[in-house]
Amino acid sequence: MTIESFLQICGYLVLAAIMAISLYGIVKGRSLIKKLIALTILGDAANALIVYIGFRFGAKYPPVLPSLTPAPEDISWFVSVAVDPVPQCLVITAIVINMAITMFLVFTVIQVYRIYGTTMVKKISRLRG
Amino acid sequence: MSLKDAVLGVAMAVFLLMVSVVVVLGGTGWTPSTEIRPLAKFYLENCFNVFNRTWWAASPEAVTSMLWDYRGIDTYYETSVFFLAVIGGVTIFRVTEAKLHRKMDDVGLSLIVKTTTRMVFPLVVIVSASVALHGNLTPGGGFQAGVILAVGPLLLIAAFSRSFLEENLKLSKDRCLIIRSVGLIAIALLVALPLMAGSLSLMQNQAKPWSQALQLPEAVGPIWTSGTLLFFNVAEFLAVGAGFTLLFLLLSAPEEELKRAIGL
Amino acid sequence: MSLLVEFLLIFSLILGAYFSFLAIKSRDLVKAIVFSAGQSSAFALAFFLLMAPDVVLAYLAVAVGIYTIVLLYAVKKTERFEEDE
Repeated sequence: MTIESFLQICGYLVLAAIMAISLYGIVKGRSLIKKLIALTILGDAANALIVYIGFRFGAKYPPVLPSLTPAPEDISWFVSVAVDPVPQCLVITAIVINMAITMFLVFTVIQVYRIYGTTMVKKISRLRG
Repeated sequence: MSLKDAVLGVAMAVFLLMVSVVVVLGGTGWTPSTEIRPLAKFYLENCFNVFNRTWWAASPEAVTSMLWDYRGIDTYYETSVFFLAVIGGVTIFRVTEAKLHRKMDDVGLSLIVKTTTRMVFPLVVIVSASVALHGNLTPGGGFQAGVILAVGPLLLIAAFSRSFLEENLKLSKDRCLIIRSVGLIAIALLVALPLMAGSLSLMQNQAKPWSQALQLPEAVGPIWTSGTLLFFNVAEFLAVGAGFTLLFLLLSAPEEELKRAIGL
Repeated sequence: MSLLVEFLLIFSLILGAYFSFLAIKSRDLVKAIVFSAGQSSAFALAFFLLMAPDVVLAYLAVAVGIYTIVLLYAVKKTERFEEDE
């Protein structure tokens, strides 16, 4: 095993560790806002994992053709050096939609605080009526 | 931290590791590939293939041409999810503008912060507009430009106040709703345009072999518009920027006023 | 891909893991939000090294700028400290 492939597998392990930490935060967080912070971290780690899996190691160029008047050699050169654009396309929409969902959850948490007077999950579950 | 917590954390780590191993083995094998995948090869070859225009998107930017041409329906439904999330937030804070008086004692932050914000705000707007308008040529596009634009009003709200935005920029909640609706309607019209012109497919950018009915030009004079991509980018820019500005305006409303208006 | 870039990538991911651990651990929600912003900056570096300029443009504005301010507004409107049971 070369040192490059060892480092690539290390990347998967670190991303899995971040996802485990954030899942722990979602499950065991005491405050709803803490759960929300953990949720944003989980979303970021999932997006990074998608880009990391789809990354073409050895690529030297982002998926943007640098010329508006290309020759046929330019296009074949572009295909040979550019990274995979598919995961990036999926992740861009996912980031913005994640943010819209997070804003909606923030609004919901503020409304919960207005009605119940607390954001602690245990206290909310003890409330009656 | 008790033993139960530690066991829980380790179990979650193992579970996630297993899931990622399955994904990795199904997708690429143990180490990430150095070869290009067939799907990505198709997009990279065809997005700006000026010699064989059967499948081209007329944009040298592979990501934008995928976002609004090859995988356009996916982006269209993502936009509808965004619409629903914004509408959900507005519904929770359903108050009319008349009920929210502005507070005169809301003076904002110090003079240094205010002066810096005055200088930064036009830059943010200009950068976001350039990212949106060049989205089909350079990295960027409607989503990216929209979130960069949303940073500007957020800075103004934090440094000055909410009423500064409403008085000096005339950017009230209703106007944001109108701008956002204009962007979303423009997107819906652009999606349905080829259908109305007699073509067989939705979201058609350039002419395809089976439907030649509609083809927007890839360039107007010296300006490279890439068919529908530029218009999609500008419409999404308006929709995302105004939608998030609307949410920030609601979020920064004073709490006592909101409670009184909702009736708690 | 050169070895240096790969080391930088792993370094940014480990930095992100450390910041997210601190964010989950801290009881002060303001501190947790600031650590979460640090994790976002580390991930932005990782996205840049993974050659995704479009993703970096969207991610920097969203995760470092907007999330931080919105969550700070939420903390200001609700409560700052996590209480013990």
